[in-house]
Amino acid sequence: MKLNEGWVPVGLSSSIEPGTSTGTTIEGSEIVVWRDNSGHAHAWEDRCPHRGMRLSFGFVRGNHIACLYHGWQYDTAGQCRYIPAHPTLDVPQTIKVPIYRVKEKYGIIWTTTAEDVAIPEAEATEITPVRSLYVDRPIDDVFTAFMAAGMTSLHTNAGKVVRGDDVLFVAFQATAAAKTAAHIAIFGSAAVYRGAKQKHYAQWAEGLRFELEAAQGEAEVA
Amino acid sequence: MSDITLYNYELDEQSYRARLALSMLGLEWKTIAIDMFPGAEQKKPEMLALNPLGTLPVVRDGDLVLHGTAAILLYLAKAYDPAGRWLPEEPASFGAVAQWLGFSETAMAPAVKARLQAVFDISGDAAALRQAARKTFRIMDDHMIARHFDGKEWFVGDGPTLADLALFPSFALSRDYGVEHDEYPALRRWVRRFRALKGFHAMPGIPGYH
Repeated sequence: MKLNEGWVPVGLSSSIEPGTSTGTTIEGSEIVVWRDNSGHAHAWEDRCPHRGMRLSFGFVRGNHIACLYHGWQYDTAGQCRYIPAHPTLDVPQTIKVPIYRVKEKYGIIWTTTAEDVAIPEAEATEITPVRSLYVDRPIDDVFTAFMAAGMTSLHTNAGKVVRGDDVLFVAFQATAAAKTAAHIAIFGSAAVYRGAKQKHYAQWAEGLRFELEAAQGEAEVA
Repeated sequence: MSDITLYNYELDEQSYRARLALSMLGLEWKTIAIDMFPGAEQKKPEMLALNPLGTLPVVRDGDLVLHGTAAILLYLAKAYDPAGRWLPEEPASFGAVAQWLGFSETAMAPAVKARLQAVFDISGDAAALRQAARKTFRIMDDHMIARHFDGKEWFVGDGPTLADLALFPSFALSRDYGVEHDEYPALRRWVRRFRALKGFHAMPGIPGYH
């Protein structure tokens, strides 16, 4: 799914601590995901308008993100507010980074540029995050492997896996043509699922990754 | 009172490991700059007399001369960290630190080579080295995800050890050779904690602020 087609999961909420940023990609397009010190998550085009440097290399200061290259600072609306080389300059409104819509649901950060789209529905009250699994395989293959492992599809890029009394939620991001991220959470409170269960399902997911990439290796040899 | 001399090249990540150890142990030392690129001064007779392998870093402490990054880290911790914080005495933790030090010299070798290839134009298959570096970082990320579930923030035990110190540079410098940090959320978290430690300092290729 592309950014203009619906909500795309880009990471676990717990992976982006306040005051930090990371880069990610959606079908090769670079995105910076960052969280301001008030705790709000943001997803923008990952490019400083000044010299095209990736903003995800930069750093968060309060509710601004600053480019590593020349320190240009942007507010939460993507508007440039401060240029260190011209400290007294009233920065023109035209210096602005394209920003995307963001929601956090199921312990996952989602982003889109589309207007009338919904995040997949699932009955969940509390969430325990597991991990983001990065697999060197196309999204269709990864989705199919999770279906084979017992997943029920909730949407084109999300599904639910029931294992005994446990319910997992998995959301898929095509980071590149042949690379996929599967963001995995458990439906249920941390009081029950923290620790051993998180580790159990992280290892389960790593097993799927191994099988997916081993199958790829065999295909290449053949 | 220590009398330590470090034969150092500022852009060499192995020299950086030694600088980090000296600094994080709170030591004072004298630096002798060796022109690794383009001079290859570490392979000239004067340096070969200290280290016949022609590698950096080399550390002299009084009459003792040591080469090999892991050996230098082990020696410094043994000599100057009597509390055993960086090199725990307890057998299981000692074994785990030794395991990651070995990993830093074997599994991490392609990452070190990938950077030399990218920054100094040393010969090598860039794509294959990058792929091998990704595999190494994935092993580290899987480990730190599992550690986080156990409520632990460091590679071994409850605090930073030589394991963290030896593993940090190659990951922190990975953008020098085109490996992004996108796919390693647990390592991003660990890097932020490592950077906040007393005595930490950056090197070119690692942003000074964060």
